[in-house]
Amino acid sequence: MNAKIDFSKISFLIVDGDKISAQVVYDTLAYLGASHIQRVKTPNDAFDVLRTEKIDIVVCEWRLRGMDGLEFLDVMRNSTNSPNRFIPVIMLTAHSELRYVTTARDLGITEFLAKPFNAKALYSRLVSVIARPRRFINTGTYFGPDRRRRQVQFDGPDRRSLDE
Amino acid sequence: MSHFDWGSGAVVKPEDSKKKKNVQIIPAQTDLKRRAVNFIKGFDINLSPKQLEELEQVVQRSSDTFVREIGKDLMDCRKTVITALGDKSKRPAAVVAASDLAYSVKALGGTFQYPLMTQIAKSMETFVADRTTANEKQLLVIQLHIDSLYVILAGRVTGFGTTVEQATVAALTKLTERYEAPRE
Repeated sequence: MNAKIDFSKISFLIVDGDKISAQVVYDTLAYLGASHIQRVKTPNDAFDVLRTEKIDIVVCEWRLRGMDGLEFLDVMRNSTNSPNRFIPVIMLTAHSELRYVTTARDLGITEFLAKPFNAKALYSRLVSVIARPRRFINTGTYFGPDRRRRQVQFDGPDRRSLDE
Repeated sequence: MSHFDWGSGAVVKPEDSKKKKNVQIIPAQTDLKRRAVNFIKGFDINLSPKQLEELEQVVQRSSDTFVREIGKDLMDCRKTVITALGDKSKRPAAVVAASDLAYSVKALGGTFQYPLMTQIAKSMETFVADRTTANEKQLLVIQLHIDSLYVILAGRVTGFGTTVEQATVAALTKLTERYEAPRE
């Protein structure tokens, strides 16, 4: 028997100033059965929602008016005023170059989805966030999901427990 | 082997140099998984090709909205650029409008089966990136990009087009390289 995801049990917040892009994500989530989906255009509105409602997953565009998606992520992960430092954030962006991906990763993004995207790519990010949650790492310079996704054999020193 | 640390003036033993790093590993939050993953209700974690196709059709529902909205945005941006050609004070606003439009088209074109629009928008976005204004020739380069995007949209040219369309993309890229400077 295949494992399933009941999306009606999860609440979503879409943070995207682009009407069409937000609509595509909204339609996809609604089709999957999500009944609690909020849409806002700016990070400030997002913080208002996050402080007053229970949101499980944030789907955020990088390019936003005022504070951009990265600053939003930085506040979510590192600010003492953050409504929820552990909330999964899926970053959608047309900035798909490697430097953008690594920047987002190092600020604690949960999943990164490059635009233009298709339904399969969006679904796989949702599955990853819900069904395969990652542990969090807290160091002096990083707070966010474990960036080491692949478990590979490594014979070097364990830098998480010892100084070099 | 112990050594003298010139900085602190102390004799450092090997075991002293290895201090515990302050790394906290927090177990994964499994609340979402516990609530949503089950064997009865919902969508399979691994969707079948048919389910994926249905999901893709949901995405494509917004295709008409894309054509309508982007078509309007292209016309508006074209007017802004043409106005800016004759009025220097309006050039910064025209560059901002072109940058926003380029990003939107680049982000969404491919999703709605217009990858050619994404290609051209990417060329336009690179051209306007980090600019606060543009000179007359640079505005004309922007206008040519907008016109090309409009023709593709109006002609519903899905996919990457023929050799003619690819030659157009190559020509636009060359134009952007030629009129790259000055970048103000």
